[in-house]
Amino acid sequence: MVSTELIIKIGQILVFPGFLFLIFYALFAEWVDRKFFARLQNRIGPLHTGWKGILQPLADLIKLLAKEDITPEAADSVVFATVPIILFAIPLTVMFMVPIIGPKAYISFEGDLIVILFLFTLTVLSVFMAGWGSLNRFGTVGGLRTSLQMLSYEIPMGVAAVGPAILAKSLSLSGIVAWQGRSMSLFLENPTEFSLALGIAKASVLALGFGIFTICMLAELEKVPFDIPEAETEIVGGWQVEYSGKKLALLRLGGDIKLVAASALMTSLFLGGPLGPWPIPPALWFLLKTILCVMIISNLRALFARYRIDQMINWMWKNLVPLSLLYILAIELMAVLM
Amino acid sequence: MKETEFIIPVGPQHPALKEPEKFLIKVDGEYVVDADVRMGYNHRGIEKAMESRTYLQGLYLVERICGICSCAHTTCYTQCIEEAMGLEIPERAKYIRVITAELERIHSHLLWLGIAAHEVGFDTLFFYIWRDREVVMDLLELISGNRVHYAMPTIGGVRRDIPPEKVNEIKKGCNVLEKRTKYYKELILNEKTIHNRGDGVGVLTPKEAVALCTVGPVARASGINTDVRADDPYLVYDEIPFNVITYDGCDVTSRILVRVDEVLESINIVRYCLDHMPDGPIRKVVSPLMRVPEAEVVSLVEAPRGELIHYTRSNGGMKPYRHKVRAPTLGNILAVCEMLKGGYIADVPIVIAGIDPCLCCADRIAFVDVNTDKRWVWTDEQLRRYGVKWYQQNS
Repeated sequence: MVSTELIIKIGQILVFPGFLFLIFYALFAEWVDRKFFARLQNRIGPLHTGWKGILQPLADLIKLLAKEDITPEAADSVVFATVPIILFAIPLTVMFMVPIIGPKAYISFEGDLIVILFLFTLTVLSVFMAGWGSLNRFGTVGGLRTSLQMLSYEIPMGVAAVGPAILAKSLSLSGIVAWQGRSMSLFLENPTEFSLALGIAKASVLALGFGIFTICMLAELEKVPFDIPEAETEIVGGWQVEYSGKKLALLRLGGDIKLVAASALMTSLFLGGPLGPWPIPPALWFLLKTILCVMIISNLRALFARYRIDQMINWMWKNLVPLSLLYILAIELMAVLM
Repeated sequence: MKETEFIIPVGPQHPALKEPEKFLIKVDGEYVVDADVRMGYNHRGIEKAMESRTYLQGLYLVERICGICSCAHTTCYTQCIEEAMGLEIPERAKYIRVITAELERIHSHLLWLGIAAHEVGFDTLFFYIWRDREVVMDLLELISGNRVHYAMPTIGGVRRDIPPEKVNEIKKGCNVLEKRTKYYKELILNEKTIHNRGDGVGVLTPKEAVALCTVGPVARASGINTDVRADDPYLVYDEIPFNVITYDGCDVTSRILVRVDEVLESINIVRYCLDHMPDGPIRKVVSPLMRVPEAEVVSLVEAPRGELIHYTRSNGGMKPYRHKVRAPTLGNILAVCEMLKGGYIADVPIVIAGIDPCLCCADRIAFVDVNTDKRWVWTDEQLRRYGVKWYQQNS
């Protein structure tokens, strides 16, 4: 006998907040990113497909799916074919560990934050494999650049993500989100001067962490100023250069989901995830906050010119790593005080 | 070649190049060890075609050498022919030619600034500059009726007059352009990411700049004071007060700043010309089938990209015996290989773009046998036959 509970569970995986919802939400996020970015640049952006071009990402996806799929003769065909699937699957997996419809994620266990960080590293390795496996000169350079870039932003990213975990005394995203909700309601119940001061101190330190994490996410997502691995004008798309048709469609969709996953992480770690001060459905809070994060990312990428790889590594190690160490020190102090 | 080195081909088709050209970049990791250039993907046989056209037909052909500096080419060509015919054009026509040429320089430099921003991955600046470039495009359309090939200079004068009501509109447009260009200059001076990508990149020392015969903004960015408008004034440039802009940074940032300042300088020249334009006729009518007396003339013009040379030889007929064009890009292209060496792959696009290459201007074909140092030129037909034969033998 099939119980209703099982049907609901399957529905959750397949429809909401599972695959179908995530894919369409990712396409929506791409549209927001493109439209907002275009407006910042004094352009119009997608316009013709659907209301204000809202269906353009979907149309692009369908078009790419219908295109010819070419595998270069010299490429390592197994690696070449697997990487798009991996790059599509990883961000989806991450999304299942992020709380969306309530304070508890679909998959949640103590230490899932570590798994998420590991999965993000794995995407970089797959990108490197993609560049290397396609055996294109531009692809090779792109792959090398990706891994070089990872060496510089991974430490600040990990440190920034661990900050809230220390304060929450939990290494799971759901735990961190629950702690954020708890401390908010505690403060609302008993608003003394001391708790207010402590709250402001915590918020300002975590704001620093949010900044560091956002910069690292720009690098992880390969957006300007850190779009060095794909740098269209330099190495013609870098590691993606040989991909076409279905594989490229999958890569792009994977990239969109990664954008959502990155903003979901920013939301859950620093902005309270699906919880909010006013009683509107948690999923709506989550959507609002992630769209805000997507817009922050689009805004940042409209502001800068591309760094060169050596400048980027230099900058990361000289500025961001010390800053993140300072941040973790402040967090430790705070944890002791509490 | 060391084991760690490999060659990256930039071109003939590459997003950083707007026209076909091939650079072979030998790299070791991210470093550029050596660079080589192959030209000739855009050869159209214009010089040969000139020989079978009358002088007036040639004017239209010359204009189509390049889409961006079309006015520079026609100015240079008409100057050449008028000199050969001993024709003195009306003063007002000279002023109108200067106005068109300077507006064209503004448009060309703004276009380049946008492209430079795009090459360093700063797309926002690219879109902003190109939006403001529309102002000058509209002004050019206002005075000539065309956005791209203005066809203003013609043999004996100019094709259209600038009536007083248009003068005001041009002045208004100039004010907008000046304000925006000053803003961009401020932005370029203060934006750190641009300096990151431009300072000390693509260095060309003054000594090398002279040795490699660079011209125009590239030479001026290496601190060399060269400008045909000042050195060998043509039209009415000797009456107009203007500064030759030089920077001594020798790098990409200097090349950007030289062009920004030249835009401001050009705006002032346009204003001066509008104020001091004498009244009178705008052209001397010449017969479309005129004969040019036997002569050999070289004419120089400062195109937006540098010194442009037209050489014509007439044997007294209706058609030129030989017409030769030396576009500024040809003078600058050798310097690119020198600038690229020792840099990074990431710098390649901006360094190549730094000379503002216009390959459709530059592509001429001649052969040199490296072993025997024998030089010869082939006609199109000979080249075609050779090609057919070569493929028959080698395939």
